[in-house]
Amino acid sequence: MVPSYNPATAQMPTIIVGVADLKISTEPATYIATHALGSCLGITFHDAKRRIGGMLHAMLPTSKITQGEKIREAMFLDTGIPKLLTVLIRAGAKKADIRCKVFGGAQLMATDNFFRIGSKNIDMFYRLSQEMDLEVVSWEVSGRVNRTIRLNNLTGDVIVKIPSKPEFIR
Amino acid sequence: MKSATDLQTVVEMTRSIPCAPAILPKLLKLAEGGSADLGEMEMLINLDTGLATDVLRTANSAYFSSNQRCESISDAILRLGSKVLYRIAASTLTGRWLVHPVRGYGWEPGDLCRHSLCVAICAETFSKKMHLADASTAYTAGLIHDLGKFALAYANFTSLDDISDRVPAEFSTWREAEKVVLGFESTEVTKALLENWGFPSTFVSVGHFYQTPSEAPEVDRPLVTLIHAAKHVATQLGYGVGVDGFYYEPDVEALQAAGFKDEEMDAAIPEILTTIQRFISPAGDIRFT
Repeated sequence: MVPSYNPATAQMPTIIVGVADLKISTEPATYIATHALGSCLGITFHDAKRRIGGMLHAMLPTSKITQGEKIREAMFLDTGIPKLLTVLIRAGAKKADIRCKVFGGAQLMATDNFFRIGSKNIDMFYRLSQEMDLEVVSWEVSGRVNRTIRLNNLTGDVIVKIPSKPEFIR
Repeated sequence: MKSATDLQTVVEMTRSIPCAPAILPKLLKLAEGGSADLGEMEMLINLDTGLATDVLRTANSAYFSSNQRCESISDAILRLGSKVLYRIAASTLTGRWLVHPVRGYGWEPGDLCRHSLCVAICAETFSKKMHLADASTAYTAGLIHDLGKFALAYANFTSLDDISDRVPAEFSTWREAEKVVLGFESTEVTKALLENWGFPSTFVSVGHFYQTPSEAPEVDRPLVTLIHAAKHVATQLGYGVGVDGFYYEPDVEALQAAGFKDEEMDAAIPEILTTIQRFISPAGDIRFT
């Protein structure tokens, strides 16, 4: 008898996404995780029908800041989101079936003049999500917390951990 | 677990912390100015077996190694140069100290080390762009800026939990809550520790005033403001940031007076991140060498 798969107990492997990085998985029994988002945004795309998922950990809103230098696409939202979408579709996902979740964008207190990356990132993500017609099903952004996230590629659930608090699912 | 007590008690308790970076000020003095006394530097490094091992391992690593192996600390010093050697020593000594698990701030083991390293790298990068301080000095100041928090956590106060509860409930800053709950701020602990260990007064000013650089002595204000900026940029990057991290306010007056501009700090982030990723893996592991 073939043992049935139990996601609650299985030790699913975890693919780690660094800062300014993106990763996808076509293997359902996989987690994709990134640590300590801070003011960065962690964006998950998941095609539940085909169980293909991906994650982007972008630091800054726009690549225009680099003024002609060679860029790392995943560092910026305006280049990283299209790249992640392209890679997922090449891997077999269908755009119409992709659901998006967004995390991070933490902000310091009273930041009208300085250290506004969190709010700039959230504004840019909102704009891009409209322009690209993304179906965003969860927003867990802003505030003063450092989030670590883990996408369960089997279910599309995202497990969120913040310091000194229990994990929760979005 | 202990209840709140006075500042002096915290400082007394931290005297027993293992591996305090007490030889760092002496090494810094030797490395400053580019005319280091290599013999004295060798003697200092040899006082600490772990540090001596790290120095030899780095000198023989693929990055630095030539055809000949370094067999002694004096060979390693010649190969690495005093500046690189100082950087290794600073990172190794403080990193070893900061790697213990720490509760109260919601830090995982190594988080304070990761965050301090990021502040050091941000400070070093800004020092080159802004010319507010020597790069090695800025790097060291970044590493040691928040030692008082480690000391408080090491002293294991339940009061730290009261602070983390109070801050979101009352929309107060972390330092305001420290003052109410503890009766003093963690920066005062940092100041006392750095004074006890014989760090130069500039570093004591950094530890004491990095959250409020406008209040720093004028002579130290450029470096203190640099660390203030570096601290907040590093916080935004997220590495090792605990429950306290975002509950601070920028000192806008000091930042503007020092010439910082928001867009220019953002533009430096790709370079900063590339440097950080040489030392911290995607999984958060730290590799100093």
